[in-house]
Amino acid sequence: MTVYGLIDCNSFYCSCQRAFEPRLKRLPVVVLSNNDGCAIARTAEAKGLGIKMGDAWHLIRNERKLSGVQWYSSNYPLYADMSRRVYQVLLEHVPRVEPYSIDEMFLDLTGLPGDLAERCEVIRGRVEQITKIPTCVGWGPTKAIAKLANYIAKDRPEMEGLCDLTDERTRMRFYRNLPVSEVWGIGRRLVPRLHDAGIRTIAQFVEAEPAQIRKIMAITGVRLQAELRGESCLQLSEVAEQRKGLACTRSFGQPITIYGDMREAIAGFAVRASEKLRAEGMDAGHVSVFIQTNPHKRQDGWYSNQAAITCAPTNNALALVGTATRLLRAIWRDGFRYAKGGVLLNDLAPAGKQASLFAAPEEQSPALMDAMDAINRRFGREAIKPLSTGVERAWRPRQGMLSSRFTTEFGEVMEARSF
Amino acid sequence: MSAYAGDRTTGFASPAADAIEGPIDLSDVLDLRRPSRYPVRVRGATFAARGILDGDVLIADTSGQQESGQLVIACAAGQVLLAELRAQKGRWWLVSGDDSREPIRVDPAQDVDIWATVTGVVREKP
Repeated sequence: MTVYGLIDCNSFYCSCQRAFEPRLKRLPVVVLSNNDGCAIARTAEAKGLGIKMGDAWHLIRNERKLSGVQWYSSNYPLYADMSRRVYQVLLEHVPRVEPYSIDEMFLDLTGLPGDLAERCEVIRGRVEQITKIPTCVGWGPTKAIAKLANYIAKDRPEMEGLCDLTDERTRMRFYRNLPVSEVWGIGRRLVPRLHDAGIRTIAQFVEAEPAQIRKIMAITGVRLQAELRGESCLQLSEVAEQRKGLACTRSFGQPITIYGDMREAIAGFAVRASEKLRAEGMDAGHVSVFIQTNPHKRQDGWYSNQAAITCAPTNNALALVGTATRLLRAIWRDGFRYAKGGVLLNDLAPAGKQASLFAAPEEQSPALMDAMDAINRRFGREAIKPLSTGVERAWRPRQGMLSSRFTTEFGEVMEARSF
Repeated sequence: MSAYAGDRTTGFASPAADAIEGPIDLSDVLDLRRPSRYPVRVRGATFAARGILDGDVLIADTSGQQESGQLVIACAAGQVLLAELRAQKGRWWLVSGDDSREPIRVDPAQDVDIWATVTGVVREKP
């Protein structure tokens, strides 16, 4: 019988911060979104203080009862490297691992010798020993069941971080008592429609007529029903599919009102996007640019626009900056307070080696990009960069509470006092 | 890509062309890609007698077994310490490098735990 596991890191971003700062062990920790906007990860202690996902930091930071909370800007280089470590530890214990998200991985537990619960406990222990990150593991005959088992393992302390849903009767007992909203892929939008159809528990969802489910959520719903019955429809995929598009977008630290600032920001996004392209050995044949004001502050005036163009396939930073800047000029309007902007690249294809009828201009030679990438790899991000991306960058996202990059930057590693 | 490594000569063929091994990669030697390896910088010189000076970077490993006499990275009272681990009377103790401080008993319930064992040391400018 096929067995899928899902291992999920508890409050992943917060756990990464705690891994390198033992003083945080029992303190409430919250990690904020890009730009220090809102809470995106909370430890149990922070949840206990009533902090919700998405709470805006500037609204709650001065509340007296939150004075002991340790706030952190999101430190993605750190989280990515810790995710890599978790993945590698898992691969030492199971034959196949699917990195589903930065903090959740599907495991292929099929046909492993010995007791699965014992094995999963060992895996959890090993991940925590090596990466300092606590996890929960759920498993069952399909991915949807494993996902649900993981939710139960995390939600109920008495499960001690493990939940086995391989047995059908055990499953049915949980299905009868759990709301349908806990099923993987059933989001807030679908729940009211399922409720209208009299479907409130997972058991009711599984037993509903497929025709009825198909009407509400098309074929995905029918497949989910089968998955929850124990018929596997979703396979393990070890690597992400090749991307079809690539984006670099950001909210600004403070609104942009001047064209020159926006041009710098958009040029910066184009350069970053081109870096990602080159890292994957791809060219883009379609560029779009968008800018928008804050949709929650419409009293300041509301404007949002985007422009796009097909271009000769390239991954050259300077070529993409040129294209993006021309697109920006077409959509820019004075008199607005812009909150967000971005560059999207599409029509991606493996970087072209085809000879061009006209030689590319000197400054667009791949050698320049190779040199820039090599220097930046060696001396750090943006050690050299096109000047069009700006120097002062008053618009850059706020990251006022950023911790060290303990594992990716030699100058920022953890320090130990000699005892 | 363009790098000359002792192989592709323009005049006389390099007799070493089939024997290129590339430069030594210290992150391979120190096995830094293992998920359990973390660099840790030392502050203070109480372990000078064991060859560890202020500013050295230790290679810490979180996967190993603890042994008496080993150098470890430990957490005590919310601080990160470099200490010697010693087994005595069935208990584990963190011992100072120059006996300047009383040993601390390892006790996870008191938030005194071993974070990693030390497997190597790197000194940039001796």
